[in-house]
Amino acid sequence: MPLRHVVIGGGPAGLFAIETIRARDPEAQITLVSDEPPYSRMVLPYYIAGEIPEGHVYTGNPAYWERLGTTVVTGTRATAIEPDRGRVALSAGASVAFDRLLLATGSSPVRPDIPGATGERVHHLWTLADAQRTLAVIGGRKRRVVFIGAGFIGFIVLNALAKIGCELAVVEVEGQILPRMLDAEAASLARGWLEGRGIAVHTGVRAVEIGEAGGDKAVRLSSGATLRGDLVVMAIGVRPNVELATASGIRTDHGILVDHHLQTSVPHVYAAGDCAQGPDLSTGQPAVHAIQPTAVEHGRVAGANMAGRPTRYAGSLAMNVLDVVGLQCASFGLWRGDGSEATPASVVVHRGRPLYRKLVWDGDRVVGAILLGPAEDVGLLNDLGMIKGLIQTQAGLGPWAKGLRANPMDIRRAFVAAGTPGRLLDRTLLGRPLENQRHRFGDRAPARGGERTAEVREQIKLEPTRGKGGGPREAATDVVMD
Amino acid sequence: MAHRSLRIVPDRCTGCMQCELACSWVQTGSFQPSRSVIRVHVFDEQASYAPYTCFQCHEAWCMSACPVNAIAIHPDTGAKVVLPETCVGCSLCAIACPFGTIFWDPATHKAFKCHLCGGDPACAKACPTAAILYEELAAPDWVEPWAAKLTERLAAAAGASDAA
Repeated sequence: MPLRHVVIGGGPAGLFAIETIRARDPEAQITLVSDEPPYSRMVLPYYIAGEIPEGHVYTGNPAYWERLGTTVVTGTRATAIEPDRGRVALSAGASVAFDRLLLATGSSPVRPDIPGATGERVHHLWTLADAQRTLAVIGGRKRRVVFIGAGFIGFIVLNALAKIGCELAVVEVEGQILPRMLDAEAASLARGWLEGRGIAVHTGVRAVEIGEAGGDKAVRLSSGATLRGDLVVMAIGVRPNVELATASGIRTDHGILVDHHLQTSVPHVYAAGDCAQGPDLSTGQPAVHAIQPTAVEHGRVAGANMAGRPTRYAGSLAMNVLDVVGLQCASFGLWRGDGSEATPASVVVHRGRPLYRKLVWDGDRVVGAILLGPAEDVGLLNDLGMIKGLIQTQAGLGPWAKGLRANPMDIRRAFVAAGTPGRLLDRTLLGRPLENQRHRFGDRAPARGGERTAEVREQIKLEPTRGKGGGPREAATDVVMD
Repeated sequence: MAHRSLRIVPDRCTGCMQCELACSWVQTGSFQPSRSVIRVHVFDEQASYAPYTCFQCHEAWCMSACPVNAIAIHPDTGAKVVLPETCVGCSLCAIACPFGTIFWDPATHKAFKCHLCGGDPACAKACPTAAILYEELAAPDWVEPWAAKLTERLAAAAGASDAA
């Protein structure tokens, strides 16, 4: 009898799990339970900024689900899990039976506990419905918007509203912006950049009340000041959705605790993505990394294990990249580097540009990094991936460490010369090549052989080498290699 | 079907940078080495030069990190290619790729990477010393043997200067 898989949550963790299960088990029965239609939360800011149509955000359609042989139950929440009986109860009253269950329930924005936080024109910007509500308030005009919370998600949205000309102010209770992504030095450079572009930044103050004044929203601060706007966006953080797991006797901490196979404390029940607290690659300790790349990796590894292919996950890497109104900011791994390390961090600062780079060391290994600089700064943009590669492989740089400490801008030579690519090429997450994702999102039937041939040919139009070319040449005589 | 890959022979590279010029011409229609997706790493102290670009790796970190499925495998070459009309420019691929071979373009606000020029790589054609070849490869890692020797030479040089 085919295994019955139930996936709760239609975000990237759930979808990648389903694709992975299907790729490994053509017989499996798969059911997705999701309260929202599946879409990509990551791209909502581009929708808000008017750069993409609403249709671009969706990640599934009937043809896609049919090809994946997945029964989709949307507009429905799972209300209880009975692990012993292998059943999930649904809000619609029915229930669904499982042999393997994935909790990919995501996370939810935290609502500040202050008067007025539930009022009109006070929004989270987390769901597609939030985005639509906000676009309705903005109505194509240059509105004044007050942000409560200056974290990653707040800035993703702020950037989108800046693109459409809104007048923006940010309130952050901590002493700096982006406290979970940048250190104080980088944050102060980012703050200067924002202020230079007319965005008001208020740190170290709390919003104590959201009221109304002459048709405006009025955010009263602990400092006594009041900020007025047409709209208030709340972005003080997100919290893993663990209630379903906790109520079912599954072990939770901050998130749903999972092992190196993404299995929870209950056999055959897995968790992935924002709701899961799994191994952190840098520390080995359980951590919630509520970011898209972790959701994808979790989903793939959980899916492989659910489909009966034991697959161990080394852990997720904390990382973020953010465009702050034209200033690129990124951080990776153990970026905090509080000065207690035996090897001091390597830092380059150019405040006038502004440019900031910090590499945090453990002996001859780079274990964390912060990069900040204008988006036009190709040096910064070029180095993002290599820094991630160095931290991910956790490999010592040996004699190359000295040069990189002296000049942290010279990441590329150290990366290549230390043989880092070789440490990456022989590893894949699931121990085999990634299939072409022919199933994902599109509504075209997969071509024989599976590639998205028509779509690729339509978008990739390459003229064969435009410059003067000498044509293929004979290999030169081998030079003598020592 | 086995696809051809770029095989780089660093010991043949003289650091002339013609590959970077040719690549940026294909990528952008202008000569901007900083927008080339093949980069020559210069080790003048050891008279060694290493062109480096996407390995078209099996894991395809960029492809699975993309939230809108804007990276696909080209049916003719097997190259992982960015579909520019689908890409929203979120940069997730650029932080997910541990090889550092996919980039966000400040001019277009889209990702860009090596697409093997549709099966006729300009870098390989431009290279005057055949340090960049396009052929079927059993193992894609051309870096390791070269890097190991370079590292040995660096360590030996450091040892010699310590002894002096």
